[in-house]
Amino acid sequence: VSGGVPLAWYLVFSSTLFAIGLLGVLVRRNAIAVLMAIELMLNAANVNFVAFWRHGLLPAGEGPLTGPTMGVFVITVAAAEVAVGIALVLVCYRKWRVADVDRYDVLRG
Amino acid sequence: LLLLVVLGVAAGLAAQVGLVAWLGGPRAVFAQLAVLGVAAALATVLARNLVHAALGLTAVFFVVACVFVMLEVEFLAVVQVLIYVGAVAVLLMFGIMLTRNIAGDETTRVSRGGMAAGVVLSGLTLVMLVVGVVSQGRDGAGVSWTAPPAVPAGDSRAAGLEGMTRGLGVELMTRWVVGFELAAVLLTAAVVGAIALARPVLERRHAGGPEPAEAVVSSPSGEPAEVAP
Repeated sequence: VSGGVPLAWYLVFSSTLFAIGLLGVLVRRNAIAVLMAIELMLNAANVNFVAFWRHGLLPAGEGPLTGPTMGVFVITVAAAEVAVGIALVLVCYRKWRVADVDRYDVLRG
Repeated sequence: LLLLVVLGVAAGLAAQVGLVAWLGGPRAVFAQLAVLGVAAALATVLARNLVHAALGLTAVFFVVACVFVMLEVEFLAVVQVLIYVGAVAVLLMFGIMLTRNIAGDETTRVSRGGMAAGVVLSGLTLVMLVVGVVSQGRDGAGVSWTAPPAVPAGDSRAAGLEGMTRGLGVELMTRWVVGFELAAVLLTAAVVGAIALARPVLERRHAGGPEPAEAVVSSPSGEPAEVAP
Protein backbone atom coordinates (compact mmCIF):
# COMPACT_ATOMS: atom_id res chain seq x y z
CA VAL A 1 0.00 0.00 0.00
CA SER A 2 2.71 2.45 0.96
CA GLY A 3 4.48 2.08 -2.35
CA GLY A 4 2.65 4.97 -3.93
CA VAL A 5 3.01 7.64 -1.29
CA PRO A 6 6.40 9.37 -1.10
CA LEU A 7 8.11 10.00 2.20
CA ALA A 8 7.80 13.77 1.88
CA TRP A 9 4.01 13.56 2.09
CA TYR A 10 4.16 11.83 5.45
CA LEU A 11 6.70 14.37 6.65
CA VAL A 12 4.62 17.34 5.56
CA PHE A 13 1.57 15.83 7.25
CA SER A 14 3.40 15.25 10.51
CA SER A 15 4.99 18.72 10.33
CA THR A 16 1.53 20.22 10.04
CA LEU A 17 0.27 18.18 12.99
CA PHE A 18 3.29 19.27 15.03
CA ALA A 19 2.81 22.95 14.18
CA ILE A 20 -0.87 22.77 15.10
CA GLY A 21 0.04 21.11 18.39
CA LEU A 22 2.58 23.84 19.06
CA LEU A 23 -0.08 26.44 18.32
CA GLY A 24 -2.33 24.76 20.86
CA VAL A 25 0.33 24.75 23.55
CA LEU A 26 1.02 28.42 22.97
CA VAL A 27 -2.55 29.63 22.58
CA ARG A 28 -4.69 27.63 25.00
CA ARG A 29 -4.84 28.41 28.69
CA ASN A 30 -6.78 25.43 29.93
CA ALA A 31 -4.36 22.80 31.22
CA ILE A 32 -6.25 19.90 29.67
CA ALA A 33 -6.31 21.62 26.29
CA VAL A 34 -2.55 22.02 26.57
CA LEU A 35 -2.25 18.29 27.34
CA MET A 36 -4.29 17.52 24.22
CA ALA A 37 -2.02 19.70 22.09
CA ILE A 38 1.00 17.86 23.49
CA GLU A 39 -0.64 14.60 22.44
CA LEU A 40 -0.91 16.00 18.91
CA MET A 41 2.82 16.70 18.83
CA LEU A 42 3.66 13.22 20.16
CA ASN A 43 1.52 11.66 17.44
CA ALA A 44 3.34 13.70 14.80
CA ALA A 45 6.66 12.44 16.12
CA ASN A 46 5.33 8.88 15.98
CA VAL A 47 4.33 9.23 12.34
CA ASN A 48 7.83 10.50 11.61
CA PHE A 49 9.48 7.54 13.35
CA VAL A 50 7.50 4.99 11.40
CA ALA A 51 7.70 6.82 8.04
CA PHE A 52 11.48 7.23 8.23
CA TRP A 53 11.86 3.59 9.21
CA ARG A 54 9.64 2.42 6.38
CA HIS A 55 11.18 4.55 3.65
CA GLY A 56 14.77 5.21 4.65
CA LEU A 57 17.98 3.29 4.26
CA LEU A 58 18.76 0.77 6.94
CA PRO A 59 22.22 0.88 8.51
CA ALA A 60 24.07 -2.40 8.70
CA GLY A 61 23.23 -4.45 11.79
CA GLU A 62 19.94 -2.65 12.31
CA GLY A 63 17.12 -4.69 13.77
CA PRO A 64 14.06 -5.45 11.71
CA LEU A 65 11.60 -3.24 13.58
CA THR A 66 13.32 -0.16 14.98
CA GLY A 67 10.65 2.33 13.90
CA PRO A 68 7.63 0.50 15.34
CA THR A 69 9.57 -0.21 18.53
CA MET A 70 10.19 3.49 18.97
CA GLY A 71 6.51 4.06 18.29
CA VAL A 72 5.53 1.65 21.04
CA PHE A 73 7.86 3.41 23.47
CA VAL A 74 6.47 6.82 22.57
CA ILE A 75 2.91 5.58 23.09
CA THR A 76 3.91 4.16 26.49
CA VAL A 77 5.49 7.41 27.61
CA ALA A 78 2.51 9.39 26.33
CA ALA A 79 0.07 7.24 28.29
CA ALA A 80 2.09 7.65 31.48
CA GLU A 81 2.37 11.37 30.88
CA VAL A 82 -1.37 11.78 30.43
CA ALA A 83 -2.14 9.79 33.58
CA VAL A 84 0.18 11.87 35.73
CA GLY A 85 -0.78 15.10 33.98
CA ILE A 86 -4.49 14.62 34.54
CA ALA A 87 -3.89 13.72 38.19
CA LEU A 88 -1.83 16.88 38.65
CA VAL A 89 -4.46 19.03 36.98
CA LEU A 90 -7.12 17.53 39.25
CA VAL A 91 -5.06 18.24 42.36
CA CYS A 92 -4.42 21.83 41.26
CA TYR A 93 -8.09 22.26 40.42
CA ARG A 94 -9.11 21.04 43.87
CA LYS A 95 -6.66 23.42 45.48
CA TRP A 96 -7.30 26.61 43.48
CA ARG A 97 -10.56 25.91 41.64
CA VAL A 98 -9.06 26.87 38.27
CA ALA A 99 -7.74 24.78 35.40
CA ASP A 100 -5.82 27.51 33.58
CA VAL A 101 -2.09 27.16 33.38
CA ASP A 102 -1.41 30.88 33.76
CA ARG A 103 -3.26 31.00 37.07
CA TYR A 104 -0.90 28.53 38.76
CA ASP A 105 1.54 31.21 39.85
CA VAL A 106 2.37 30.39 43.47
CA LEU A 107 6.07 30.36 42.59
CA ARG A 108 5.95 33.93 41.29
CA GLY A 109 8.48 36.09 43.13
CA LEU B 1 -34.54 15.00 -0.15
CA LEU B 2 -33.92 11.59 -1.70
CA LEU B 3 -32.81 13.27 -4.89
CA LEU B 4 -30.46 15.45 -2.87
CA VAL B 5 -28.95 12.38 -1.18
CA VAL B 6 -28.51 10.62 -4.51
CA LEU B 7 -26.96 13.73 -6.04
CA GLY B 8 -24.59 14.07 -3.08
CA VAL B 9 -23.49 10.44 -3.29
CA ALA B 10 -22.96 10.79 -7.04
CA ALA B 11 -20.95 13.96 -6.62
CA GLY B 12 -18.84 12.31 -3.94
CA LEU B 13 -18.20 9.28 -6.13
CA ALA B 14 -17.26 11.49 -9.05
CA ALA B 15 -14.88 13.47 -6.87
CA GLN B 16 -13.33 10.23 -5.63
CA VAL B 17 -12.86 8.90 -9.13
CA GLY B 18 -11.35 12.18 -10.26
CA LEU B 19 -8.97 12.30 -7.31
CA VAL B 20 -7.87 8.71 -7.82
CA ALA B 21 -7.33 9.31 -11.52
CA TRP B 22 -5.34 12.44 -10.76
CA LEU B 23 -3.13 11.19 -7.91
CA GLY B 24 -3.29 7.42 -8.04
CA GLY B 25 -5.03 5.27 -5.45
CA PRO B 26 -2.75 5.37 -2.39
CA ARG B 27 -1.93 9.04 -2.82
CA ALA B 28 -5.60 9.95 -3.13
CA VAL B 29 -6.39 8.05 0.07
CA PHE B 30 -3.48 9.64 1.88
CA ALA B 31 -4.39 13.14 0.70
CA GLN B 32 -7.92 12.80 2.03
CA LEU B 33 -6.66 11.34 5.31
CA ALA B 34 -4.23 14.22 5.67
CA VAL B 35 -6.89 16.85 5.03
CA LEU B 36 -9.19 15.15 7.54
CA GLY B 37 -6.42 14.91 10.11
CA VAL B 38 -5.37 18.53 9.77
CA ALA B 39 -8.97 19.70 10.03
CA ALA B 40 -9.51 17.60 13.16
CA ALA B 41 -6.27 18.87 14.65
CA LEU B 42 -7.32 22.46 14.03
CA ALA B 43 -10.66 21.70 15.67
CA THR B 44 -8.80 20.24 18.64
CA VAL B 45 -6.72 23.34 19.09
CA LEU B 46 -9.27 26.01 18.31
CA ALA B 47 -12.57 24.63 19.63
CA ARG B 48 -13.87 26.71 22.50
CA ASN B 49 -15.78 23.80 23.97
CA LEU B 50 -13.32 21.34 25.47
CA VAL B 51 -15.52 18.33 24.77
CA HIS B 52 -15.50 19.23 21.08
CA ALA B 53 -11.73 19.56 21.31
CA ALA B 54 -11.47 16.07 22.81
CA LEU B 55 -13.66 14.66 20.03
CA GLY B 56 -11.41 16.30 17.45
CA LEU B 57 -8.41 14.78 19.16
CA THR B 58 -10.03 11.34 18.94
CA ALA B 59 -10.51 11.89 15.21
CA VAL B 60 -6.83 12.79 14.89
CA PHE B 61 -5.92 9.55 16.69
CA PHE B 62 -8.02 7.57 14.22
CA VAL B 63 -6.43 9.35 11.25
CA VAL B 64 -2.95 8.61 12.58
CA ALA B 65 -3.96 4.96 12.97
CA CYS B 66 -5.03 4.98 9.31
CA VAL B 67 -1.66 6.50 8.36
CA PHE B 68 0.01 3.65 10.24
CA VAL B 69 -2.02 1.20 8.19
CA MET B 70 -0.86 2.95 5.03
CA LEU B 71 2.71 2.51 6.26
CA GLU B 72 1.95 -1.21 6.73
CA VAL B 73 2.52 -1.23 10.47
CA GLU B 74 -0.84 -2.66 11.41
CA PHE B 75 0.20 -3.64 14.92
CA LEU B 76 1.01 -0.05 15.77
CA ALA B 77 -2.34 1.02 14.32
CA VAL B 78 -4.13 -1.40 16.64
CA VAL B 79 -2.09 -0.21 19.60
CA GLN B 80 -2.85 3.38 18.65
CA VAL B 81 -6.59 2.77 18.65
CA LEU B 82 -6.50 0.73 21.86
CA ILE B 83 -4.36 3.08 23.92
CA TYR B 84 -5.06 6.51 22.50
CA VAL B 85 -8.72 6.20 21.61
CA GLY B 86 -9.51 3.67 24.31
CA ALA B 87 -7.58 5.05 27.23
CA VAL B 88 -6.10 8.49 26.66
CA ALA B 89 -9.21 10.05 25.13
CA VAL B 90 -11.40 8.65 27.91
CA LEU B 91 -8.97 9.88 30.52
CA LEU B 92 -9.01 13.34 28.98
CA MET B 93 -12.80 13.28 28.96
CA PHE B 94 -12.79 12.47 32.67
CA GLY B 95 -10.33 15.26 33.24
CA ILE B 96 -12.57 17.73 31.41
CA MET B 97 -15.59 16.49 33.30
CA LEU B 98 -13.95 16.75 36.71
CA THR B 99 -12.39 20.15 36.33
CA ARG B 100 -15.12 22.42 35.06
CA ASN B 101 -18.24 22.55 33.00
CA ILE B 102 -16.90 23.86 29.80
CA ALA B 103 -19.87 25.25 27.95
CA GLY B 104 -18.86 28.61 26.62
CA ASP B 105 -16.35 29.69 29.18
CA GLU B 106 -14.11 32.49 28.09
CA THR B 107 -10.93 31.50 29.85
CA THR B 108 -9.76 28.81 27.47
CA ARG B 109 -8.03 31.22 25.13
CA VAL B 110 -5.44 33.88 25.55
CA SER B 111 -5.57 37.50 24.56
CA ARG B 112 -5.28 38.80 21.03
CA GLY B 113 -1.59 39.56 21.35
CA GLY B 114 -0.79 36.13 22.75
CA MET B 115 -2.86 34.54 19.99
CA ALA B 116 -0.92 36.47 17.34
CA ALA B 117 2.39 35.47 18.89
CA GLY B 118 1.35 31.81 18.99
CA VAL B 119 0.16 31.86 15.39
CA VAL B 120 3.37 33.52 14.21
CA LEU B 121 5.60 31.12 16.14
CA SER B 122 3.85 27.92 15.06
CA GLY B 123 3.51 29.22 11.49
CA LEU B 124 7.23 29.87 11.36
CA THR B 125 7.86 26.37 12.70
CA LEU B 126 5.60 24.90 10.04
CA VAL B 127 7.30 26.86 7.26
CA MET B 128 10.72 25.82 8.51
CA LEU B 129 9.81 22.13 8.68
CA VAL B 130 8.07 22.03 5.30
CA VAL B 131 10.83 23.96 3.55
CA GLY B 132 13.38 21.63 5.12
CA VAL B 133 11.49 18.54 3.96
CA VAL B 134 10.95 19.78 0.44
CA SER B 135 14.48 21.09 -0.11
CA GLN B 136 15.96 17.90 1.32
CA GLY B 137 13.88 15.96 -1.16
CA ARG B 138 15.30 18.10 -3.93
CA ASP B 139 18.88 17.55 -2.80
CA GLY B 140 18.15 13.85 -2.65
CA ALA B 141 21.34 12.36 -1.24
CA GLY B 142 20.82 8.65 -0.76
CA VAL B 143 17.08 8.42 -0.19
CA SER B 144 14.58 9.99 -2.51
CA TRP B 145 12.04 11.81 -0.36
CA THR B 146 9.63 12.77 -3.08
CA ALA B 147 9.67 9.86 -5.49
CA PRO B 148 7.80 6.71 -4.53
CA PRO B 149 10.25 4.42 -2.77
CA ALA B 150 11.56 1.32 -4.41
CA VAL B 151 10.72 -1.53 -2.07
CA PRO B 152 14.12 -2.75 -0.94
CA ALA B 153 14.62 -6.41 -1.62
CA GLY B 154 16.05 -8.58 1.09
CA ASP B 155 16.62 -6.12 3.91
CA SER B 156 15.48 -6.91 7.41
CA ARG B 157 12.30 -4.86 7.13
CA ALA B 158 10.66 -7.47 4.92
CA ALA B 159 10.89 -10.01 7.74
CA GLY B 160 9.70 -7.42 10.23
CA LEU B 161 6.66 -6.52 8.18
CA GLU B 162 5.81 -10.16 7.66
CA GLY B 163 5.16 -11.12 11.28
CA MET B 164 5.05 -7.81 13.03
CA THR B 165 3.56 -8.77 16.39
CA ARG B 166 5.89 -11.69 16.88
CA GLY B 167 8.87 -9.74 15.62
CA LEU B 168 8.10 -6.83 17.91
CA GLY B 169 7.88 -9.15 20.90
CA VAL B 170 11.20 -10.75 20.06
CA GLU B 171 12.82 -7.36 19.52
CA LEU B 172 11.50 -6.01 22.81
CA MET B 173 12.84 -9.03 24.63
CA THR B 174 16.27 -9.06 23.00
CA ARG B 175 17.52 -5.81 21.50
CA TRP B 176 15.41 -3.38 23.51
CA VAL B 177 15.22 -5.12 26.90
CA VAL B 178 16.60 -2.14 28.80
CA GLY B 179 14.11 0.23 27.25
CA PHE B 180 11.33 -2.27 27.82
CA GLU B 181 12.13 -2.63 31.50
CA LEU B 182 12.50 1.12 31.88
CA ALA B 183 9.09 1.59 30.27
CA ALA B 184 7.64 -0.94 32.71
CA VAL B 185 9.15 0.91 35.68
CA LEU B 186 7.94 4.22 34.26
CA LEU B 187 4.38 2.96 33.84
CA THR B 188 4.32 1.54 37.36
CA ALA B 189 5.66 4.76 38.79
CA ALA B 190 3.18 6.81 36.78
CA VAL B 191 0.18 4.76 37.90
CA VAL B 192 1.27 4.74 41.53
CA GLY B 193 1.96 8.47 41.32
CA ALA B 194 -1.41 9.21 39.78
CA ILE B 195 -3.19 7.25 42.51
CA ALA B 196 -1.11 8.89 45.21
CA LEU B 197 -1.92 12.32 43.82
CA ALA B 198 -5.63 11.63 43.64
CA ARG B 199 -5.97 9.83 46.98
CA PRO B 200 -5.59 12.23 49.94
CA VAL B 201 -8.76 14.19 49.43
CA LEU B 202 -10.83 11.02 49.32
CA GLU B 203 -9.23 9.92 52.58
CA ARG B 204 -9.98 13.24 54.22
CA ARG B 205 -13.54 13.18 53.05
CA HIS B 206 -14.06 9.67 54.43
CA ALA B 207 -12.47 10.57 57.73
CA GLY B 208 -14.66 13.62 58.00
CA GLY B 209 -11.68 15.64 59.13
CA PRO B 210 -11.04 19.32 58.54
CA GLU B 211 -11.52 20.30 54.92
CA PRO B 212 -9.51 23.44 54.30
CA ALA B 213 -10.11 24.21 50.65
CA GLU B 214 -12.60 21.49 49.82
CA ALA B 215 -15.37 23.18 51.74
CA VAL B 216 -16.28 25.20 48.67
CA VAL B 217 -16.85 22.13 46.52
CA SER B 218 -20.18 23.39 45.31
CA SER B 219 -20.12 27.11 45.12
CA PRO B 220 -23.63 28.32 44.32
CA SER B 221 -23.01 29.70 40.85
CA GLY B 222 -20.79 26.88 39.76
CA GLU B 223 -18.08 29.37 38.98
CA PRO B 224 -14.60 28.69 40.28
CA ALA B 225 -14.01 30.66 43.41
CA GLU B 226 -11.17 33.14 43.36
CA VAL B 227 -8.43 32.19 45.78
CA ALA B 228 -6.23 34.92 47.08
CA PRO B 229 -2.55 34.00 47.06
